[in-house]
Amino acid sequence: MGSAGTAVEEDTETDIASGVADPWVTIVWNDPVNLMSYVTYVFESYFGYSRVKAERLMTQVHKNGRAVVSSGGRERMEVDVQAMHGFGLWATLQESGARGAA
Amino acid sequence: MTPFRAMRRGYEARFEPVERVVLARVARDVADMLREEAGLDLFPDDGVPGLSTHPGPGKGQAWANGLLAPDELTDADLARLTGVTGVGRIPTDPAARRLLPDASKDDADVADEFRRLTQNDVAQAKVDRLEAFAALLDLPTGEDAPSPLGRHGAPPPVRVPREDAEQFAGALTDVRLVIAERLGLKSDEQVMQLTDEIMWDRQAGREIPVATDGRAARRFWSGVFVAAGYAQETLMDVMLSELRGRRPPGAPTGSG
Repeated sequence: MGSAGTAVEEDTETDIASGVADPWVTIVWNDPVNLMSYVTYVFESYFGYSRVKAERLMTQVHKNGRAVVSSGGRERMEVDVQAMHGFGLWATLQESGARGAA
Repeated sequence: MTPFRAMRRGYEARFEPVERVVLARVARDVADMLREEAGLDLFPDDGVPGLSTHPGPGKGQAWANGLLAPDELTDADLARLTGVTGVGRIPTDPAARRLLPDASKDDADVADEFRRLTQNDVAQAKVDRLEAFAALLDLPTGEDAPSPLGRHGAPPPVRVPREDAEQFAGALTDVRLVIAERLGLKSDEQVMQLTDEIMWDRQAGREIPVATDGRAARRFWSGVFVAAGYAQETLMDVMLSELRGRRPPGAPTGSG
């Protein structure tokens, strides 16, 4: 399955830091069922992320139990979470300053 | 089951007839469960809310212009009148909750509002694609149907048109999520161990037993879970390859 680089943590921090004005985030949580290739596919096809970024986020979900996959206004995050649920991924939204958002 | 391959008219794999029948059946069961759990029957016609069935249709005085009295309005009526979809029903079955999860872990208001705004649409889309998935797997029947055996005596392949492939993969996901919930698979390790057992049995040539007792049923559904995972994994191989703009590998492997 997808191999990914090691610089997982910092990059997400960077993503979040660059989204300071974005008050909400979408989080995808690990589950034992969804295939790594499918999760990667969703990140590439829905968000339009590069293969590298998609695989990094997938690995983060798998290893850390969750990853912040997008940030923005609440309505925008509701759209993303709805899409993730449509794909069968377990996703939540929360305010980006909230505990556990990063 | 053979791996999916990218062909001119779509992604193709050969399924055993029993694999087609069982996967179509379980997809329809999941669709029925979801329809019931999400209360989609309260919102017929593809998400357009209809008149609810009131317990006593005669007792209600039609209000002005045939509208129901305010105290007789249900969520579905309100949704129909206002265009705002409510929630037919909040699922209680853990498998349905997995397909329609809470959108917040610690804020019930966020989760409730999200469910009210989106549940019907998400559930209806899942039901539709599960039924399309089942229809695609159905073996040809009836007098006009071509022989279930192809030219060389093999069953015709399952062909997933490219434009339907994401929906097909999504239906496989929902089927696998529901079976995993029923089997109590909670961790990556449990899923890996079960997959190893099934693959080992298969390599050893052991037949999947007919489900006559609890243990055999568990073995049977484990086999369906693994088969659905294999179909999805090999489909993802070719879909990802094409998404990334390069030709699919000439000899797809199962991957692992």
